[in-house]
Order: sequence, then structure tokens, then C-alpha cells
Amino acid sequence: MRINFWYISSFLISLIVIIPILTVFSSFFEQTTNYFGILKETFLFEYTYNSLALLISVLTLTFLIGTSTAYLVSFYDFPLSNFFKWALILSFAVPPYIYAYSLTAFFENYGTAYTILKNVFGEANYNQHIPKFDGMLGSILSISISLFGYVYILTRASFLYQSQSLIDLGKNLGFTNFQSFYKVILPAARPAIVAGLSLVAMETLAEFGAVDFFSINTLTTGIYNSWIAFDDLAFANRLSFFLLLFIFALFILENLSRNKAKYHFNSRGGFKQKDKIKLTKKRAFLAFIFCFFIFFISFLFPLSQMLYWTIKFPENLFDLNVLNLLLNTLYLVIISSIVLITFSLISNYGNRVLKNKFLNILSTLSISGYAIPGVILAVAFITFIAWLDESMIKALGLTSIKKIFIGSILGLVLVYFVRFYSLAFNGIKSGYEKINIYVDESAYLLGYSKKKTFLNIHVPILRNSLLFVGVLVALEIIRELPIALILRPFNFETFATTAYISASEDLLEAAAVPSLFLILIASFFIITASKYILRENNE
Amino acid sequence: MSNNFFEVNNVDFVVGGKTKVRNVSFSIENEGDVICLLGPSGIGKTTILRTIAGLQKIKNGSIKLNGKTISSENLNVEPEHRNISLAFQENSLFPHYTVKKNILLGFEKNKLKKKKEINLQEIIDLLDLSKILNQYPHQISAGEAQRASLARALLTQPNLLLLDEPLSNVDQSFKEEIQIRLKRILKTFKISTIIVTHDSYEAFYLGSKCGIILDQELRQFDDPYKVYHFPNSVEVVNFLNRGVLIPAEVTSPKSLENKDLGTITGTFVKSFPIGSNVQLLIQPEDLHHDDQSNLKLEIVDRKFRGTSFIYTLRTASNSFIPVFVHSHHIHQHEISEKFGIKRPIHIDHIVCF
Repeated sequence: MRINFWYISSFLISLIVIIPILTVFSSFFEQTTNYFGILKETFLFEYTYNSLALLISVLTLTFLIGTSTAYLVSFYDFPLSNFFKWALILSFAVPPYIYAYSLTAFFENYGTAYTILKNVFGEANYNQHIPKFDGMLGSILSISISLFGYVYILTRASFLYQSQSLIDLGKNLGFTNFQSFYKVILPAARPAIVAGLSLVAMETLAEFGAVDFFSINTLTTGIYNSWIAFDDLAFANRLSFFLLLFIFALFILENLSRNKAKYHFNSRGGFKQKDKIKLTKKRAFLAFIFCFFIFFISFLFPLSQMLYWTIKFPENLFDLNVLNLLLNTLYLVIISSIVLITFSLISNYGNRVLKNKFLNILSTLSISGYAIPGVILAVAFITFIAWLDESMIKALGLTSIKKIFIGSILGLVLVYFVRFYSLAFNGIKSGYEKINIYVDESAYLLGYSKKKTFLNIHVPILRNSLLFVGVLVALEIIRELPIALILRPFNFETFATTAYISASEDLLEAAAVPSLFLILIASFFIITASKYILRENNE
Repeated sequence: MSNNFFEVNNVDFVVGGKTKVRNVSFSIENEGDVICLLGPSGIGKTTILRTIAGLQKIKNGSIKLNGKTISSENLNVEPEHRNISLAFQENSLFPHYTVKKNILLGFEKNKLKKKKEINLQEIIDLLDLSKILNQYPHQISAGEAQRASLARALLTQPNLLLLDEPLSNVDQSFKEEIQIRLKRILKTFKISTIIVTHDSYEAFYLGSKCGIILDQELRQFDDPYKVYHFPNSVEVVNFLNRGVLIPAEVTSPKSLENKDLGTITGTFVKSFPIGSNVQLLIQPEDLHHDDQSNLKLEIVDRKFRGTSFIYTLRTASNSFIPVFVHSHHIHQHEISEKFGIKRPIHIDHIVCF
């Protein structure tokens, strides 16, 4: 086997990503403090039960919301249906924890709902009539409404690629529209729906901000708390091990279904612009109301709540150094995007040029980072650096390297790299798959070197894919919370961490300003990328 | 040491660890010669071109161009340093450039070498590309993309041009015209070329030599006339699909006997002992129609080929023999009718196995 630049780079990339998993596994068998014994008997059950309850409820809700909205905008023409097509993905701009703040702010005693009722109907004791969305219910709603977009996007793409003949077949068999939906359309879209739900499941298990805000103890918050509150890294790693078992099961399921979904999407000639059924009168109104309701609760509601509080408590806006937060957020986004895109390009190009099975396996391993919750990655990273630091001091007598990696931008970017590598790698890979290998070979035969082929042919062709990957990475990093919380340098805040800190101090009004900016910036990135996310043809 | 312009010596052509064609040797004698490789799909013709271009490596034998070894067990000159052009069957245009820019890349490469230039406009006219020059590859048809790739390859004026099914996507009506123009350009600019095709007529027209690749071997490498009239194996006969083999007994140095057709005379391409039982190749042009003949066979099929009919006749011993008849022939026969064969039967070149 020839060891060259591509092997070394791919090997190193894989190693960086695999380290957190190895650390978690090795730590599982280490000694821990007595605290573990107590927890094993009591809280572990609660953590697991809560995680599972959350998972099942969120999956049910996201399935219902995601498939129904995708069905309506894909097959029916009703007022603003084209607007809802992309407006529904704006729900991604609102991370679950900000949704949780909005829910609480609106429905709490003397909250926004109370104020509205008071202004409309006059002074009265409305608090007892206003429903409370907190605890488990609040967590389920926040996560579901924030994540249904995964199911919506993948299911809608699958609906688009379903052939007209399949739908005509349903009509021919005398099915009503609803019968066609659940007997023909839905089963055909099953792989895409499963793929969407798997992503939701992984995100739900990894969710930290919302469940922490509602004080629901899950495996993820357990990991965070055992490290932050009890300073017990070993126990954090043990909990991580349990959570990873869940994740691996889901990861396998997701991969299996995605393979099928891929096959489904790639079928050539399957996509034809279908004649949408024009809804009239009551049906059009109902479809419009339903989509508007989902759009409203998923985007307009949290946006307005945050806007309302920002206007109501303007001092919070002035107290906050918005420019500094913006620069910090953009700094992280730019550095991480550059690193991720550069390494993903190198890896993808290496795989393409060398066509080597070993490299392929390494790449497959290295994209598993996305399935591992940010909390686990951050804790595993600290564990690994602590071990490395200790070993180096012992063995070589070197000075501590902890400060270089923990509480530094470098550490933060490294863990972001592990977490979002698959996003960048797969984004660029799908771009590369569209470049015929004969294009490379033609370039060589025209006298182009490999470097010139890469720079003059690949990079310009991949321009759109790179832009798309950059936007996706930006979106993830802007919303990301636990990694930034654990690993950020002292006095280095982003919109996400500022919102979290204010909310955890019960200063929800103060959390509104950074949350509002976060939603606006994320919306900007979503709108920029929407034409790629909602791709409607093969080009 | 041979003076051939291009040589392939005892090479196994391998792709993905799997040998596609074994122990191949052939050559292009003079610069400017065109040779064609014929064979069924998937046999390894494209692998041969890719290996010659340097896109695949070899583990034995050698490939030489202009006296210099470019591929051997220990040497593989990189594709970009071979000055060999390959026009792929698939669309290989750069998607981010217009057709014009794509073609000009070939032209620019050639300019660097300061060779006598092919006229750009001539190539554009030759391949009828003027209307699509400003379009992008995804906006043109497969046939147009193939012609644009061909133009790009021609304009590089390589030492060796490799064409992989160059006209497979080109409309039939336009194909013959392009073949004529292509042949003229290759000859004028003395571009040595290897063309891979499955169209035997294209190969016979364009190539001064033809190679037939079958069952992982280069079965025959000869000039087109010989390949057609003197196929060297049953497999080549079957591949060219133009004749049938019927049993016969050699009765003299210039004749043989078939129990359905009687005595057949002619010159043996390869001699056999008298009394040998052989398989005799009957090609459609070998037998002649004669309504007055007493040798009558039943018509089981009739194919109209424009200028000719090809009748398929059944003999008494249930062999099926093709017979070519000019389509202006006064008598037209229907299926199941009897069809007279002129006697005595004389075949110029008797091919037996």
C-alpha cells in the first residue's frame, strides 16, 4: 500500500473523529466516584425513561407534522402553497431551547398570553385558564416543532420524485385522495420518512438546551451535569456509553433506510412536475389554515415573542454587546467552515483519485461524528486531552498542553470539526458524484496535472456545493449549544451561549435579544440555501 | 528493433484486478495510420484505449510510442505527459465551460507545441458545431456532446488519437458524412488513430487495419478485406455475423462436396487433406440466384436492406443459408416459396475450419 499525502490526511481525519468514541468506551471500565453507585440505583432509570419517552413522543409528533405538511404542499394548490413550501423550513432557524424560552414566556403566569388577554378583555385572573407548557410536555413540543423540518424536507423530496403513474394508479383503483395518501403515496415515501425520523431521533437524544431548561433529566443532561456539577468525568463517560448504544442502533437504522432512500431519489426520469390538485373553498381554506398554523407556531410565534420582549425591554439590547457576539459567532462560523470544507475537499479528492477500499472505510468511519451528541464529544474531548496531557508530562516531562485545547478556539473548532465533518464531507461528496470521472481523465489527457485539475476543474464545478456546505455548517454552529458551553474560552460568548446563560438565570427577557439575533441570522442562512434544500430537479 | 510508430507487445489489459484481454500484440506501422478494434460490448476494448492513454497501468509486456516505452511493468508515463488524446464515448466535456471553451482547450494545448495547426473553423464545420458553440454541455444532446469531445481531441493534434465509439450517439443520417470528413482530416494531418467500435462497416471504412477482440483475446489483426473474407476462426465468423458454416468433405485441392449443395469449387485459403470433413463458410455473396436452376431451397426469411435483399434458405438437412440478391432483381420471392441456386457453385476464396 502506498503511503502518501492522501492516506496520511484521511487517516488523521479519521483518528480525530474516532478518538471520542474510543475514549467513551475505554472510560466505561474505569473507576468512578461513589456517586455512580447511587445513581445506578436511582437516576439512571429516570434518565433512560425520560430519554425514551421524549424520543417516542417527538417521533410521533414530527411524523404527523412533517408528512402532513409535505403532503399538502406537494400535491395541492391552495392559497400561499408555494410560499409555505419554503417557509416551513424556517423552523430550523429556531433551536429547541429558544422555542422553549418562547413557550414559557408566552404561557407563564403573567406572561405574554396574560398580557394579551388583559389588554383585550380587561383585568382578570387569567393565569389559571392559560395552559402551561413546561416539563416533559414543553420539551416534547419545543423539540418536535423545531425538528419536524427534517421529516418535512426528506418526505417532500420523496413525494416530488414519486411518479405520476403511481398516483394515477391510486385514482384508477377508485381511491379517494386520503386513501391514495395512506395506501400508495405514504408507503412509497417510507424510506425517506424513516431517514427523516432517524435524524430527528439522533437530534432528540442529543438535545440539551430545551430539556435542561425544563429540568427534564435525560442521558444528555445527565452527562452535562455530572461533569459540570459533580466534576465526575468518568461518570459522564459512562452515561455517554449508554447514550451511544442508543445512537448506534439509530445510526444503523438510518443508514439502512438512507440507502433505500438514495436509490429512490436517484431513479432517473421519475421526476415530473405533477399536476397539483387545485383546492377550492372550504378545503383550500383548511389546507391554508393548517400550513399557516404550523408556520406560525414554528417560526412566527417564537420570532414575535423574542421581538416583543426585545422591544418591551430595550435595555437588554443596550446592555448586550451585540457586535461582539456577532463577531464571535461569525468568527467561529468562518474558521470552522474553512477547516471543515478544506479537509472534506482533501478527503473527497483523495478518495476520488486513489479509489482505495481502505480509504473508503476510513472515510465512512470518520463521518460517524454527526451521530454523536455534542455533549459526549465535548466531554470525551476533555477526557482525551486530560489523559494525553498527563501522559506527556509523565513520559516526556513536557509542560501542560491543556490550555491549548480546553477553553480555546482551537479546541472548540476541533470538536465542531468532529461533530459536523459528515455534513461537510457528504455535501461535497454529493457534488463530486455529479462530476463524471471522464471529466478528470479528459483533463489529464489535455495535459492538466492533478493539482491543476483539482483547482481549475473541480473547484469551479463544486462552487455551489461548497457554498451550500458552508451555509449548512454556519447554520449548525450558530444554533449549537452544549459544545460551545463546555469548551468556549473564558469571556467568549456567542448568541447561543448568551441566550442559554440568561435563561438559566431565569432572565428570559434578557435571553430574548440574543435569541432574536440568532433566529434572524439563521433565517438569513436558510433563505440563502433554500433553493438547494428544496431542490426540485436533477440539475 | 522494429520501426513501428506504435506498438503493443504481449500486454494483458487489466481493470480492477480483472484481466479483460490477454497477451495482446499489435502495431501501427506508420505515423498517420488508422486502425480499428472491433468486438462485442464489455469485452475490454475501452480498457485497451484507457491503458494506452495511461489511465490504467500494465503488469506485463510493453507499449511503445515513437520508439519510446510509455507503459511497462516498471514504467507508466502519466497521461498528461503522453501527448495522447482520448475522446470518450461518454460525455466528458467540462460542465462549467461552454462548448466553445471546451474545444478551445484542445486548441490551446496544441498551440503550446507549435505544430502545424488544424484549422479551428474547419473542425467546427466538420462536426457541425457552429450552432452549439455558446451552449453549456448540459444544454446539448448526447450526439452533440460526442462531436464536441471529438473536436477537442482532434484539435490537440496528439501523437496518437484514441476514439472510443466516436459516432455511437451521432444520428445515422449524419454518420456517413462525418466518417468521410473524419477520414479526410486524419489523413491530411497525419494523425495516428486507434478507433474502438462495434460497427464493422465503420471499422472497415476508417481503418487500414482491424483487430477483432473476442473471448479475452485479440483474435485477428489484419486489413479489413482479409478480416472480412478470410476470417481466421469460427468465432470471428460468428462475430461478423455475415455467413454460416455448413458441413462439407474436401474432394480435391480445388473442390469440396456438401450433401445439400453438391460440388463447390474454388481456391482454398488454407489447404486440407482430401477426404477431410470440414466446416465451410458460406457468405451471402457466395451463392447466386437462378430461377432456372434445379437446386431449389425453401425461403424461410427475407430481409430488405435497401440496395439488397438477404434471403435465408433452408436446406434439406436443415441448415440455414443466407443469399444476397440485388433489390432491383426482377423476381421477388415470398417466404415458403422455392428459391433457385445457380450451379455449378464457385466460391473465389474457400474458407474452411
